[in-house]
Amino acid sequence: MTSHDDHRPEEEREAGTGPVDEIADPPKVANDGDDPNRGAHSREVTDGSADEPGGGWLGLSGLSVWANTTVVALFMVPSAIVGTIVLVVVGQPWWALLPIPATGAFIALMTYIDMLRLRAIRYRVTAERMEIRSGIIAKAYRSIPRERVRSVDVAAPIYVRVFGLCTVTVGTGEKVGSGGDQLKLEFVTAEQGERLRRELLQRGPSTSTLAGEGEARARVEESELVRMDPRWFAYAPATTATFGIGFGVVATLIGANAQSGGRGWLWISEQAGLPSAQEVSDFVMGRLALIVPLALLGLLLSGVVVLLVVAVETWWDYRLTREGDGTVRLRRGLLTSVSLSVEGRRLNGVVLREPLVLRAVGGASVQAVATGLEGGDEKKTSAKSRLSPAMPRARARELGTALMRGRHSPLDVALARHPRAALRRRFTRAGIVTLLGMVLAGLLGWLHMIATESWWEAARVIEENLVPIPVVVEGVQVTPSWGWALPALFVGVAAFWYAMGSYRGLGHGLHSDYLVLRHGMAIRDTVTLEKSAVIGWRITRSPFQRRLGLADVSATTAAGAGMYTVADVGLGQGLAWADEAVPELLAPFLERVEGEEATKGPSVSL
Amino acid sequence: MSTDALRLRPPNHRVDHRAIRWWTTQSLIVTVVLTAIPLVPALLWEPVRPWFLLAAGILAVVGLLVTVVMPRWRYRVHRWEITDTAVYTSSGWLWQEWRVAPMSRIQTVDTARGPLQRAFGLSSVTVTTASAAGPIEISGLDHVVATEVADQLTDSTEAVPGDAT
Repeated sequence: MTSHDDHRPEEEREAGTGPVDEIADPPKVANDGDDPNRGAHSREVTDGSADEPGGGWLGLSGLSVWANTTVVALFMVPSAIVGTIVLVVVGQPWWALLPIPATGAFIALMTYIDMLRLRAIRYRVTAERMEIRSGIIAKAYRSIPRERVRSVDVAAPIYVRVFGLCTVTVGTGEKVGSGGDQLKLEFVTAEQGERLRRELLQRGPSTSTLAGEGEARARVEESELVRMDPRWFAYAPATTATFGIGFGVVATLIGANAQSGGRGWLWISEQAGLPSAQEVSDFVMGRLALIVPLALLGLLLSGVVVLLVVAVETWWDYRLTREGDGTVRLRRGLLTSVSLSVEGRRLNGVVLREPLVLRAVGGASVQAVATGLEGGDEKKTSAKSRLSPAMPRARARELGTALMRGRHSPLDVALARHPRAALRRRFTRAGIVTLLGMVLAGLLGWLHMIATESWWEAARVIEENLVPIPVVVEGVQVTPSWGWALPALFVGVAAFWYAMGSYRGLGHGLHSDYLVLRHGMAIRDTVTLEKSAVIGWRITRSPFQRRLGLADVSATTAAGAGMYTVADVGLGQGLAWADEAVPELLAPFLERVEGEEATKGPSVSL
Repeated sequence: MSTDALRLRPPNHRVDHRAIRWWTTQSLIVTVVLTAIPLVPALLWEPVRPWFLLAAGILAVVGLLVTVVMPRWRYRVHRWEITDTAVYTSSGWLWQEWRVAPMSRIQTVDTARGPLQRAFGLSSVTVTTASAAGPIEISGLDHVVATEVADQLTDSTEAVPGDAT
């Protein structure tokens, strides 16, 4: 502690462009109606509602309280009734008086709190800003300039839709408190939701005339980019997770049986006259060749069913349209109907996504690279950005091209290959995985050889407690110990195949307006990103990459995932690409070197 | 490929020399804490003592090695530069990172000093853009220099219109 300025406060600066303001205490607007300036100001711009007290401030729909209450009641009242019956049956009549009134009181309390919350929330849209006030005890006031509104998401889950309500989520492209960049209104009437969607993405002071001819014009100019084809649902089960989901379903059933101490299966088999677990086990062991494929088929089928149901719920009535002002609008959903609008200018590119299995059957899906769709983490952002279900690859490319509005599609750009060193890195990794697999297999094989009958017995007991029909331990025991070499071999082959595919997936290229980059084996993404959306570069090199003359070159952007990376590109190759993509940004920091030294990187890297 | 190839030149300015001492202290603290973790069961539990002592020994040796090598290595890599149009930094030691952000896309500029940095009279400047890739950080600057850098950046970014996306 020697410095003279030890006690100076930590400094914080904000550069000019103020982001979303979050003010703990609202300024004057908190007092409804006694602020003539604001009232007058907003009266010109918020149509219809201007006569209300509070200068155009609107509340949420009063029905939203009832929507919430109904849902809570639907879950709680039946369990309260069941609880009462159970208590009566077990001979506790006094206690039986408790559940229903307690539930009633709880629901009443929840409803009351919800009403307070509802009353505290007010929002309005003026010519320049969208403002929201909220909070019962801790008041909050948020204000976003309308030009920062990137996307408007109108969703109506079934229990909300029956009340004619919807949720409106406004994406701002700025962090708003925790968990992403969005403001949520739960719930407003469907009509209000639709008006918000239109108003918020409409620029300029034309808001007041919007309800009339403007709306009609916008509707006329709306053009459809794509509509759901029921045949596309067939692509839904084409995922690597299909088996896993099927396994999950079966595992849940087995788990339920184990919970009941095996009595579940016993009961079912007695009722239906099925053989006991022991008999089934003997039967299975006798016909493994038949039963194993059948079981796998069963897993696959249950996975297929689950995925189909999810796809139908998600993508039912899917339509993607472009409206007169360039806004791209997505509508979809069976039980929860979703309408997502992204301002055309904020759609900075697309992702053509081809997961492994979908790729094998010639399918792909399209995602947006847009600001205002961030969901807190990468997975949620990706889920929010989906613009299409799995569809035929050619159709997906067509859609991507249409979204980017170019005559020459960025998705058709020829991509440059990455150096062989990138393949060598992947082979090294595959080699390590293979080696680990071999060591593990050797270890298990060795255990198999020295295993005594009592070990097998113990394993069988454990399995019997988990599964009614223990076949795995039995199966393993009858296999010779060298059988462990087979999985090791399989792992090795799969690892090298994956490495090769991963290398083949790498690529980068340039279109006149877009960067194009591709990577991935399990999920192959072809990303296009508008050159003007690049807001910086990040180049990283690991010790291995420095030795091989490689680098990861990432374009940073406000849109989508925030950063798109060309992995394991040659250093010179990657920098040349970045320099050409956004001239003048990187150029002052580049230098040309000759021959051998070129790949070594800056002199400071030891 | 041609015999000529592009590479990044190092940014102009090194960080303050005191940063070496700062990183050394940081690394020492981490080493001491990590070594102490297996020492506790080693003292309490007789039968496994040799194993935990071995683990503590390995951690201590690796930690001290890092403490000796890392700060000097970092000092050679960590550099920064601010031009009229962009911020350019390099950082890291084994894994290295270069960042470029144009002045027009900078949203906020902060300076921050942890207690340890303060003890050495150092400061960090954090430059945030609209990207989720994380802010650009220049750490280990002399406190006065950091303030000047932040002021310069704030002035430059205010001069550029637009909403930085």
